[in-house]
Amino acid sequence: MNRRWWIAPTLLALLLVVSGIWGYNQYTMKNRYEVALENHYQRLFFDVKKHVDNVQVSLSKALVSDSKEQNVLLLSQIMNEAYFAQDKLSQMPITHAETAKTEKFLNQAADYSYHIIQTHLLGENVTKEQREALTNLQKNSATFNGELAKLHASMMESNFALGELSNKQSRRVEEGNEKVFQTSLVSMDKQMSKSPELIYDGPFSDQMLNRKPLGLGGNNVSLEEAKRIATDFFGKDRVARLEVFEQGENASEVRIPAYTFHLYPKNQQKDLAVYIGVSKKGGKVVWMVNPRPVSKKTLSPKQAEEKALKYLKEKGFESMEANYSLKYDGTILFNFVNKEKDVTIYPDLIKVKVALDTGEIVGFDASAYYLNHHERTIESPHIDETAAREKVNVDFNIDSVRLTIIPKGKNEILCYEFKGKHNGADFIVYINALDGREEQVLQIIEDDNGTLTF
Amino acid sequence: MKRFIVMTTVFIMLFLSIFLFYESNNKVGTASKYNMYFAPRTLYWGVEGADVKTVQDKLLRWGYYDGYVDGIYGARTYRAVIRFQNKNGLNPDGVVGPSTAQALGMVTTAPSSAQGVSRKSDEYLLARAIHGEARGEPYVGKVAVAAVILNRTRSPSFPNTIAGVIYQPLAFTAVADGQINLTPNKDSINAARDALNGWDPTYGCLYYWNPATATSKWIWSRKVVLKIGKHWFGL
Repeated sequence: MNRRWWIAPTLLALLLVVSGIWGYNQYTMKNRYEVALENHYQRLFFDVKKHVDNVQVSLSKALVSDSKEQNVLLLSQIMNEAYFAQDKLSQMPITHAETAKTEKFLNQAADYSYHIIQTHLLGENVTKEQREALTNLQKNSATFNGELAKLHASMMESNFALGELSNKQSRRVEEGNEKVFQTSLVSMDKQMSKSPELIYDGPFSDQMLNRKPLGLGGNNVSLEEAKRIATDFFGKDRVARLEVFEQGENASEVRIPAYTFHLYPKNQQKDLAVYIGVSKKGGKVVWMVNPRPVSKKTLSPKQAEEKALKYLKEKGFESMEANYSLKYDGTILFNFVNKEKDVTIYPDLIKVKVALDTGEIVGFDASAYYLNHHERTIESPHIDETAAREKVNVDFNIDSVRLTIIPKGKNEILCYEFKGKHNGADFIVYINALDGREEQVLQIIEDDNGTLTF
Repeated sequence: MKRFIVMTTVFIMLFLSIFLFYESNNKVGTASKYNMYFAPRTLYWGVEGADVKTVQDKLLRWGYYDGYVDGIYGARTYRAVIRFQNKNGLNPDGVVGPSTAQALGMVTTAPSSAQGVSRKSDEYLLARAIHGEARGEPYVGKVAVAAVILNRTRSPSFPNTIAGVIYQPLAFTAVADGQINLTPNKDSINAARDALNGWDPTYGCLYYWNPATATSKWIWSRKVVLKIGKHWFGL
């Protein structure tokens, strides 16, 4: 018995050593990860600083320079640097609430530069308002830059680690440092919100974001009326029950204020409800989704298209034409666009999804249609087709031509649409029918499921 | 007694060393499932699945295969594939890769017009985000979450790409705790597709939160629009 007294202590000692090694391993691993993360965040911070520096300098130069050529170069630099700064700022471990306005400023600065580049390329000079807007942007980026510089200095002093912002455990310890960071960001954000709205025509401009639907007129409908409209749309005798989605107090501040319903169809499981949205103004069905599964596909795309067209006629959309299609999950999705006087009007877009088993319509989306549809006075083209054709690249083999209206910012323009091939790939080229300018080039991506444009 | 103790020691050491050097490889599962939905995977001896069934069915009809169409890539399937490859001038390796699959008529590779451009990666990332964030929600709630992500890409206050929005630090809890790496189910993928095709049950909302779990006070200062499933959506 005496011989074995050492076994238990040895075992324990071994255990201790092994767990010690394990713990040490974990510790070094954790440190390595932390350092890697910290380095990454530091890099982002310094990059943001540098990019904002460049934005500010280029903006100042653009205000001094008087030549369009020089300005185009400077503005494209501003665009690049502002996008970079925004992209990197959004990757830092800071809550969205603290950077929303700054990000918006950077995005709009980039977008606005792009807009001015376009006007320059059309040969127009910078207007007084644009110059003022640029001055404003310059001031804003200068304050932003100043704040970043201050922040940078205080970070250097206190040896502040950004990585710890995302780590809740060490929050209390670093609270002092964190406050430095957060307060300067919040003050920056406040500064940004004071600057006036930029008025221009680009995807990120406030005017585009706050657009109101053009295609919805008439009086507001009551909830009861909307219920009736929704049931009638789906088919009165097919609805077993209807439920309303709960609404918040600001429900009328969205682009298309609407009532949203669950419809429980007869002969279907409870969880497979149909969803439908009815606009408050005018009482139109804006969208509908029926997520039922489709098992066997029996219909051809052509048959499905006929079903969809018939459905649209029933719903009061007379002159629609199918354009692109996409097959997925036993359904086929068609993009229908309005056609008036042989002109295809792309902004008036309705999407219809057809189930390939019974031909039932399982999806409907007219939000784009109601956003854009209005009485249009379509001008007759100022240049004829042959003249427009000459504007197209010579290497381009044209398959078809037609007159279309395409959206450009918040405006619409009349164009000749040339579909064709270049280097084996499919493209669409739009030539302005009024002044012969090349407005847009789209690439068509076809795979076995359908067609997409890029 | 002594032997017992020695054995225990060895076991404990083994156990601990497993802890020490073990690296979880659950990512593999995600990757192979990904292929099931999105890209034809490479088939070889030992794999199972519906795609194996397709191969067996085709080889059976063309007289290369004489076993059961059971979806298990076994010896018979292997030999049948080699026979098929020999006959069709392919490298007889018994593996159904891209060229063999094409010869079998299983994949229609994208025509040259695509030149590698496709929407599949966006679709899959979005589906993963939906799955992580809104697994338990009704279908429309899933589409709504995807719509919020897409609305953010169009808003100046947010990053401009889908990945940028999803991986923005502190934006989504499912990203922070790794739930985003779960394999999405068919429902999430369908919801992602519907959202990418333009359906937006939120009418342009940029935020959503679950009133039961939302921790940020700031989120309640948003404009409240509507409730879908458990989530409130707002501007």
